[in-house]
Amino acid sequence: MGMTRRRFLGYAAGAATLALPFDLVRPDRSHWAAVLDLKESCSLRESLAGYESALTGLALRRTALIVPAALTLPPPAVRSIVSCLQAGGIVLLESGAGFAAGRDFRAHRVALRDYLHLRVEAPVPLWSAPTSAPRIPYVDYTWPSSAKVRDFSRAVPVGRQAGEVIAWVDGLPVALKRRSGRGGTLIFLGSPLGPALWAGDAQARRWLVDVLGLDQPCSCANGGVAWDASAAGPLGVVPVAAPASVR
Amino acid sequence: MKKAIGDNMIRKEWGLEKGLDLVKQAGFDGIELWLGDMPWFQLTTADVEVRELRRKIENAGLVVSNVSTGLHWASPLSARDPTVRGRAVRIVEREIETAVLLGTDAILLVAGLVTEEVPYNEVYQRCVEALRPLAEQAARAGVRIGCENCNAEHRFLISPREFWQFLNDVNSPAVGIHLDVGNIHDTGFAEQWIEIHGPRITRIHLKDVMKKRGRCGDQSVYTNLFLGDNNWPAIRAALTKVGYDGWLVAEMEARYRYAPDQQFGDTARAMDRLISGRL
Repeated sequence: MGMTRRRFLGYAAGAATLALPFDLVRPDRSHWAAVLDLKESCSLRESLAGYESALTGLALRRTALIVPAALTLPPPAVRSIVSCLQAGGIVLLESGAGFAAGRDFRAHRVALRDYLHLRVEAPVPLWSAPTSAPRIPYVDYTWPSSAKVRDFSRAVPVGRQAGEVIAWVDGLPVALKRRSGRGGTLIFLGSPLGPALWAGDAQARRWLVDVLGLDQPCSCANGGVAWDASAAGPLGVVPVAAPASVR
Repeated sequence: MKKAIGDNMIRKEWGLEKGLDLVKQAGFDGIELWLGDMPWFQLTTADVEVRELRRKIENAGLVVSNVSTGLHWASPLSARDPTVRGRAVRIVEREIETAVLLGTDAILLVAGLVTEEVPYNEVYQRCVEALRPLAEQAARAGVRIGCENCNAEHRFLISPREFWQFLNDVNSPAVGIHLDVGNIHDTGFAEQWIEIHGPRITRIHLKDVMKKRGRCGDQSVYTNLFLGDNNWPAIRAALTKVGYDGWLVAEMEARYRYAPDQQFGDTARAMDRLISGRL
């Protein structure tokens, strides 16, 4: 986990003192996917709607937190992300900064760097440069399964850092997977997937299902550190997927 | 049925007053105002100036048939960039506001723009989502939003059944179709669009089209009424069948190279013939 111990403890303490508007933590074998609504820090509401729609009714084998179209990361959101990772869950953090103005993008980049040790480059417009050959308008995902999903006009490339690049567009690395916390997995998407889900792209949905179905069950099933979803505080955390049946 | 023509047919050097006189003398009943096209009707035009514009139009013996805009070609509701999309929504809102100020009950909207970059499914979904709240605003204002069929130009809602489904998905009586009988090109037949959409038609744009030409450089596929390939007797019969008795609005992309004022009179006479059914 790319976060100092001091900062993490600070978030954890803050989370413990928050009122609990909902309880997503179940000390049993249930696993949940939740979509975190960052409110004004979510730059694409359609992305949020896309994830909600894609996940509704799915049975999961792993606890997952999805953060769609993030522009900035308010502290409660960071607490949720950290809690989920510490609980061995999977966090899918989608950048919503492709169209952000300079100052907003800088804040985005600083938040990713300081809170999650993620390094990203400035957004790249994929369609504005004149090219002699026609463009292929797809992001190619290579993990956990291969998938082609429409690009979203601009992409936020990931910089050189620890982790595995799992998607490319026009030769740019635009998604990263990294082990984090106690068995958790952080996935950063520099090209939004939510709008493709929202528009009904079956391959985008299959890729998402493959991501969420991976790996061993959440550590909370074994009495480990539970993911404190209530750390989301005033942000909206929408549980969208039913718990998987106990195996 | 009543006849109107767009204010964007008025040459800027003529000015508004001379243009309105010409429109009236040619025999039109009203004028379509294009937000953003002419100096007298911009997004920055204040309410008091819009009221003054209405006064001038009424003093000329005309009324406003509807408010239209071409601004959505550059700022479509279907844009991926949230800032552009916000601008697009604001343009529609201003159309609604000015329609009320100008005493008309219809606005035109180019609903979405499919491009190589922004694919059809996204455009469809985004337009439906954007139109639902706008429909509520329009309904409160007593205005109907007419989504124009720009078929080949916006590569969206190309068949009449597809357009029908789109309006079903928006699901508001405040949103209908601003039918352009020239825009269908060789993808169908205007009379069939009229029959399918009937009461959902908010206004009708008239122009003729050379269906076999296709766009070629700067050459227009559009032409003056009765010079192209539209089946005008069938169009007239379809209008009778669905009971359309609203505005017919001339939208002449192909302009007279000489004697441009002549086009106003010629167009009005052709529209009279269409309305009379003597075809």
